[in-house]
Amino acid sequence: MDKVVKKKILVVDDDNNLNSVLVEKLTISGFDAIGAHDGEEGLAKALEIHPDLILLDIMMPKMGGMEVLDKLRKDAWGKTAKVIMLTALEDVNLVAQAMEKGSYKYIEKVQHSLGDIVKQVEAELARENK
Amino acid sequence: MTGAKPYLKHVAISFAVLIILCGIVFAVFALYQNEIGDQTGYLQIACFVIAVLASYVFYLLLAAKSRGEMVVWEATKQLMVSREQFKRLYEDAPVPYVKLDLKGLIHEPNKATLRFFGVLPEEIENKNFFTFHPDEDLELGKKLLQRFTLNVPINREEIRMITKSGEVRTILLTVFETRDTQTLGRMGIASIFDITEQKKLDKAKTEFVSLASHQLRTPLATMKWFMDMLLSGDIGELPDKQKEYVQKLYTVNGEMAELVDILLNVSRIEIGALVLDKKKANAVDIAESILTELSSQIARKYLIIDKRYGNALQDITTDPKLLRIVIQNLVSNSVKYTPDGGTITITFTQTGSQGQIIITDTGMGIPREQQDKIFTKLFRADNVRTQSAAQGTGLGLYLVKSIIEALGGSISFTSEEGKGSVFTITLYSL
Repeated sequence: MDKVVKKKILVVDDDNNLNSVLVEKLTISGFDAIGAHDGEEGLAKALEIHPDLILLDIMMPKMGGMEVLDKLRKDAWGKTAKVIMLTALEDVNLVAQAMEKGSYKYIEKVQHSLGDIVKQVEAELARENK
Repeated sequence: MTGAKPYLKHVAISFAVLIILCGIVFAVFALYQNEIGDQTGYLQIACFVIAVLASYVFYLLLAAKSRGEMVVWEATKQLMVSREQFKRLYEDAPVPYVKLDLKGLIHEPNKATLRFFGVLPEEIENKNFFTFHPDEDLELGKKLLQRFTLNVPINREEIRMITKSGEVRTILLTVFETRDTQTLGRMGIASIFDITEQKKLDKAKTEFVSLASHQLRTPLATMKWFMDMLLSGDIGELPDKQKEYVQKLYTVNGEMAELVDILLNVSRIEIGALVLDKKKANAVDIAESILTELSSQIARKYLIIDKRYGNALQDITTDPKLLRIVIQNLVSNSVKYTPDGGTITITFTQTGSQGQIIITDTGMGIPREQQDKIFTKLFRADNVRTQSAAQGTGLGLYLVKSIIEALGGSISFTSEEGKGSVFTITLYSL
């Protein structure tokens, strides 16, 4: 992938190891991946750099993923930003909430390989381009 | 009724009548004895006997009356005692009770009600009970009032109430029908069962399980992803032997994730935090996705899968995630414990809203003497522990049974060691 057209992906997850391996994999796969380590930092970075896609963990200290998504949806740019929610465990209520707030994808971390996640990211970016 | 018991009074009156009659008889005889010329005294005796009989009849009449009065007297006394008891029970009961008229206005709130709302009687009397809700429950309150006025029973309806201090408490509301003691008009006695603490505890338990599962799963996901990196060759190819070992770690990590899931589901069941999410489901889709998941193990053991779905269980109402756990456990047990080349049959049947899922295998079977223990927690049969390399937690069938019961179904099996097992799940109201 050409450097100029690299898509910006923001990874918001409070687990440093998870965050770094995800950023590394996305970078290797040809994305411009940036990490944020809690909800507040994630929201600030999202509003600053306007990434093409945000991978957003749900359970985080300071500000949880759902709250970040809420605040993001109130911003003019953030209203339509692409977000994939990440979570350690699937919870029907959370899925429903995330859908309501316009996140169409929901990834249960332990069930998916890194390769799967890259595929999901690509699919979501393609959806945007339609 | 006051004074001595009525029959004592009547005995006394009858005795007095007897004495008076006898007195009259003797006086008359004393005056007219010579005029009558009766020297024998027979007439005197006859008159005396008549006087005694007359007073006895009089006594019987009075006694009959007094018995009636006695019954009334006893009944009234009992009624008064029981009324007093009811009043005490109503007023001092630890459960808040209020009487409601047909408009929903509060009358005679008991002490527990005053404590519950934190008010004095005058602050709550003649106020509409169905307005003491937080805003979001006002609509529900209105509906309940409507039901009450239309005489539709209200039995353990969950609703939130707001107290004087603004605290919101969750209650189960039950309204019994009663009559007003004066007007005999229809009224209700509302009982308020406070479940706020229970709710908090339930929430804390559920949150604990959810937090524990989050904390246990995150490191598993991290390990999985780092191994992904190693295996994918993204950061350089591993030598074959190393790749093989990382692949083993990857498999074990997956098993660990599965085990965490099982443990969490078991604890959800045990603390009562298993939430049913019933919706439209297709058991064939569920079975097929499980078979896909297990396809590599099935292929490795050359197992034959005989699918007899028919047209059954394709449009049912159940919790698909829980049903998946059940079928997954049973099929994966069959795959684990059936020798190479064996057959696993999955049969679905349905009659109306009742259905059966039957998993048959030609596996190791369960020793007869251990068959009564297979649904107990952490139990693994002797033959699988000694003859099979397959790992097991001893939680699978315990989980299956618990889930089936939560879904309102039942499970049974027949098994013969060395020949195989048949597990039958029956589900109702699908």
